Amino acid sequence: MKILIADDEAMSRRLLEKTLERAGYEVVAVENGRLAVEQLNRPDGPRLALLDWVMPELDGPGVCRAVRRNQEQQEQSYVYMVLLTSKESKEDIVTGLESGADDYLTKPFHVDELKARLRTGERILHLEGRLVEAREMMRFKATHDALTSIWNRGVIMDLLGRELARSQRESGCTIVLLGDVDHFKLVNDTHGHPVGDEVLQEIGRRLVLSIRSYDFVGRYGGEEFLMVLNNCDPESAEARAEEIRKAVSSRPIPTATGPLQVSMSIGLLLSNDWGVRPVEELLYEVDAALYVAKAAGRNCVRRARPGVPTSEPNVAADEAVHRLR
Amino acid sequence: MEKLQNCSQNGRVDLLELLARLDNDRELLRDLVTIFKEDFPRHLLALQDAVAGQDMKQITMVSHTLRGMLSNLAVTKAAAAAGQLEELARSGAGASIPETLAAFEREVLGLLPEMETYIAEVRS
Repeated sequence: MKILIADDEAMSRRLLEKTLERAGYEVVAVENGRLAVEQLNRPDGPRLALLDWVMPELDGPGVCRAVRRNQEQQEQSYVYMVLLTSKESKEDIVTGLESGADDYLTKPFHVDELKARLRTGERILHLEGRLVEAREMMRFKATHDALTSIWNRGVIMDLLGRELARSQRESGCTIVLLGDVDHFKLVNDTHGHPVGDEVLQEIGRRLVLSIRSYDFVGRYGGEEFLMVLNNCDPESAEARAEEIRKAVSSRPIPTATGPLQVSMSIGLLLSNDWGVRPVEELLYEVDAALYVAKAAGRNCVRRARPGVPTSEPNVAADEAVHRLR
Repeated sequence: MEKLQNCSQNGRVDLLELLARLDNDRELLRDLVTIFKEDFPRHLLALQDAVAGQDMKQITMVSHTLRGMLSNLAVTKAAAAAGQLEELARSGAGASIPETLAAFEREVLGLLPEMETYIAEVRS
């Protein structure tokens, strides 16, 4: 494990360095508080630190405060800091601990005591690592679709709202694509749900690979995928949508029961065609364009345009389109 | 080891305690003494200058450093004298400082040659 030693006095530094190297630590030694903060604030910096109290430029408690402040701002991993001190008064110890130090050790230290205190620090860091891992996993589960690992419906809707607001603010254009896997029910009925899951996973992967790193794709419903392509050129919107459609259907999807040829119908909407509209209304329109693509024979892209009657809400037509899917 | 024990009893360094603290690492002891030989005269001079200039902040800092160095080498009496200087300077009791410095100087007089002896003992 990497450990930082910050001490302006060369003898103490050498003593600590040798002792800790012998104990199996990878030692980084610096001679003042400023350099200590630099090291500890690095993303790959040591997570364990021994800091002399009195140092030039920045003292030990000052280092603790700076590191804790940075941790709060940057959400960095916890650093376990031990102050080395020859100060023995209760007031000094309280000051040191309140600056953010986790422990203190009185100089001259005994090697066994030093090692024992560092082992305590390692235990706490290990525990912190497990907590962070658990939190990250929960965060991922709360924001991603369990089957495809792309954004879930809640997040993709938030992202859509955010990108539409931004394109209005910046007079840009956001492309909204709603894709639906053609005849997906047939895949499930013929090959079983596990194969259907494989198909959805592979489609999710192909969609992610076919968009830019700053675009978004999420699972909108069962076999429906919502894509938000921001800051786009309206002229190339239909070509982009075609590329994405082809990315899904260009080659069969390998599954447990053999390769399956699958396609996707896509509804396309350009935010600047529609002006300022509620997100729900735009989603209704792109969904209607998707229905039109289904009705046109599937495996194609249809664009939602204001004033074009194909997108008129009609209960009978809706029912017919649902049958088409 | 026999020789080292004698040195410890006769000299100012509690060598047994020091070696125990260093896990009997004689190479490390030699390193520390070498650093001490290089750094100590510079710090002592800085302390004397600070006392002459009645610079309390500087006296506090340098005597703190000296206390740490001497403690690390188990030169306990001299470390205590440095600690006394640090306390006096921190509390602003400037009048007693020259006298305490003189006591400290007596304590460290001949320390470097004694350290040379230790290095020789450790080498043998």
